[in-house]
Amino acid sequence: MTQVLNLLLGGVFHAAALFLVAAGLQLVFGVQKILNLACGSFYALGAYAGITAVQTALAAGVPAPLFLLVLIGAGLTLGLLGPPIERLLRTIYDRDEAFQLLLTFALVLMLEDVIRFVWGAAPYQLGGVYLVYGQVRLGTVTIPVYNFVVIGAGLAIAAAMGVLLTRTRFGGIVRAAAENRGMAEALGVDMARISTRVFTLGLVLGTVGGALVIPAGAAVNEMGIELIVEAFAVVVIGGLGSMRGAFVGALIVGVLKAVAIAVYPEAEMLAIYVIVIGVLLFRPAGLFARATA
Amino acid sequence: MIRHLVLAAALAAVAAVPLLGRDYYATLMLPFFAYSVALLGLNLLFGTTGLLSFGHALFLAVGGYAAAYLGSTLQVRSLEAMLAVAVVAAVVIAVPVGWLCVRYVKIYFGMLTLAFGMLFYSFLYKFYGLTGGDEGMPVARPSLLGRGFGDLDKTSYLIGPYYYYSLALCVVAAVVMWRIVHSPLGLSLRAIRENADKAEYVGVRVRRYRFYAFVIAAVFGAAGGVLLVVPTGLASPTLAYWTHSGNLVFMLLLGGFGHFFGPLLGAFVFIFLQDQVMSVTEYWRFVFGAVLAAVVIFLPRGLMGVLARQERA
Amino acid sequence: MTPLLEARDVVKHYGDVQALNGVTVTVREDEFVSIIGPNGAGKTTLVNVLTGLLRPSSGRVTFKGRDVAGVGPVRLAGLGMARSFQLVNVFPGLTVAETLAVPTLARCGRGGRPFASLGRDADVREGVAEMAALFGLTDKLGRPARTLPQGDKKLLDVASAFALRPELILMDEPTSGVSTHDKTAIMETLVHAAKRIGVKAIIQVEHDMDIVFGYSDRIVALHQGRVLADGPPDAIRADDRVVATVIGRLR
Repeated sequence: MTQVLNLLLGGVFHAAALFLVAAGLQLVFGVQKILNLACGSFYALGAYAGITAVQTALAAGVPAPLFLLVLIGAGLTLGLLGPPIERLLRTIYDRDEAFQLLLTFALVLMLEDVIRFVWGAAPYQLGGVYLVYGQVRLGTVTIPVYNFVVIGAGLAIAAAMGVLLTRTRFGGIVRAAAENRGMAEALGVDMARISTRVFTLGLVLGTVGGALVIPAGAAVNEMGIELIVEAFAVVVIGGLGSMRGAFVGALIVGVLKAVAIAVYPEAEMLAIYVIVIGVLLFRPAGLFARATA
Repeated sequence: MIRHLVLAAALAAVAAVPLLGRDYYATLMLPFFAYSVALLGLNLLFGTTGLLSFGHALFLAVGGYAAAYLGSTLQVRSLEAMLAVAVVAAVVIAVPVGWLCVRYVKIYFGMLTLAFGMLFYSFLYKFYGLTGGDEGMPVARPSLLGRGFGDLDKTSYLIGPYYYYSLALCVVAAVVMWRIVHSPLGLSLRAIRENADKAEYVGVRVRRYRFYAFVIAAVFGAAGGVLLVVPTGLASPTLAYWTHSGNLVFMLLLGGFGHFFGPLLGAFVFIFLQDQVMSVTEYWRFVFGAVLAAVVIFLPRGLMGVLARQERA
Repeated sequence: MTPLLEARDVVKHYGDVQALNGVTVTVREDEFVSIIGPNGAGKTTLVNVLTGLLRPSSGRVTFKGRDVAGVGPVRLAGLGMARSFQLVNVFPGLTVAETLAVPTLARCGRGGRPFASLGRDADVREGVAEMAALFGLTDKLGRPARTLPQGDKKLLDVASAFALRPELILMDEPTSGVSTHDKTAIMETLVHAAKRIGVKAIIQVEHDMDIVFGYSDRIVALHQGRVLADGPPDAIRADDRVVATVIGRLR
């Protein structure tokens, strides 16, 4: 029984990171109508930067329990990259989607080497600092409290996103711009500013996601380009442009992956694709299809 | 007529490379031939029909592993057999995958094809009993038109008979694709790209023809895949990785996907540029990312687009 | 005579909105039928149902006796019905000749051949030449569609529907977006072309009453999803209800 619980928790833990990356993807797609292939690269950047930030902080004498804040801070700081990257993408907003995909692919290539340049090719780890929050024993398994913290953070951010989008003026503008950009512009919305903010928010969601999940694992060069496929699966299952879809889709993919690894390791990704194909066959728009203008 | 002269000159130049004594550049031409064949197929799908696949590398991998399996496991050493099996395997896989994928367009098509490519990658990676896993599967040196060339060492084989075989295959592929592009199907596909809805209203079977384009592209991809793995002697799962598909699209954009010869130009520039850049820095991906960004923003019609403008001016 | 196209008691609703409320329309051979009605009357919905784009919520649509509810544009073209649209719809990058070749190939069933030669296909060349001549586009055959003036684009758009040599053609506002001066010229071209290629019946949706009364054998007036009146031009002109709701004051 506890094995099952352990399994599920592992899946939900992974789902938290997936949700954050997918949410970033959905936001950017919703407003800018660009499918950002570099979302996985932002995730990777967040992970690497997070490790460096925590190591620096610990060396500088910051007490260990505050490492979570340092991680989140690192993710947020990377938001500075948002405006310049968005400016670059802005040059091709009105072009054919193929060009948009290719430009974000160019970003993937560049960021991959940036990471390799700054942090090298060897796996990069944080060590055991996350254990400072202690561990919980459930039957025969021990689970770090940190994992619950991350899951909690994921839920909190999901809730915050919900409030942001439905109850704030910014959220209203974002949803309007996603629904009908021309109309929003005609009504006086400064699309340039909104685009920059939305893109930065999407980027930060990815970097924070990467920073949060890295303490228990190791950052490797390929983590960004590997994650993109799962992120796509989440987005297809949940429906392009839907936040709720990102949440539910992430849960499905995260848990499914965990189950698949336990039951039949060879089939982990296959299981996800079977679901993706199934969804596409019966509900092509995803589970939470949104009407686009 | 200038075009014909340029083409003839280029062909003569390419044929002369091994004879000029620069072995290194001759070996670089081998992946050029392979990618040219594969890209001719991708160009039909993207340039002519307007479907951007981020999973075309899947079929290169199919071709590569077909060659590997035939040579190493079944001990069949004929390149013709490898090509034949690769083509059949490509069709077998392209039919269900294509049937599913062409029901979607644009972003969804791109995502689906990416997913299928990665699905195949996972399969190649995980089922190491069958595929050799991340170590890959070795590719035995094939005989060409029945001749083994056993007396030649590897380099002599590659720069000699294999070079000209690849060149010939590349030319054959180009001729076949030229026929297809200038056929009724080619025109119908272009109509689909220009305005799929209107195409339906004038009686074009949009879904079916897109499917044909997908399968044809797959066949060319697999043939290219076979040519790609023979020089290195290894078929590895990374052949199917989505970034490999991304590079294929990059090559196509670089050369110019609206033109027939765009794929060849793109493959050529990509390979030689990569070679030059890699000798200068290990961070070639960054440079290439920047090149891609520049091409997307400033030269959307690719190098052929630039050349075509010169022609008219 | 069995009607060529028949819609019987067609009802169509979108959720709560009742677009068509039991519409019966019959079109026979050699008829030119105009569908008129104010905006929101259901004309577009009716046309979409007649051309197999929409399935009616209830009722039947038959073409040459066959049920064609929801068959879709490609099958419909194969059955002998073609349609042109109000908004000009072209293949921007294809030349006039190529644009006309596409439906011609489709009609001959050759659109999917990957190894046949396009240049040497005599049927296609003749078909294209004939269509271009009928629509006055012969000297523009080599021009990309996107470079044509608007009027020619419209002609090309309609010509590509005619190139299917349909038995029935349905035109959605064929003279919309065209100056009054050119409207008659276009209608003459269309009617002449239809006669030459053997189109058996024409249905049009039209707002310009001069065109409607000038060319129709029968007029069907729609209002709020129902057929208000259905008859020859004189009868319609005399029908007070139609005058009040649709026509307004005639000059």
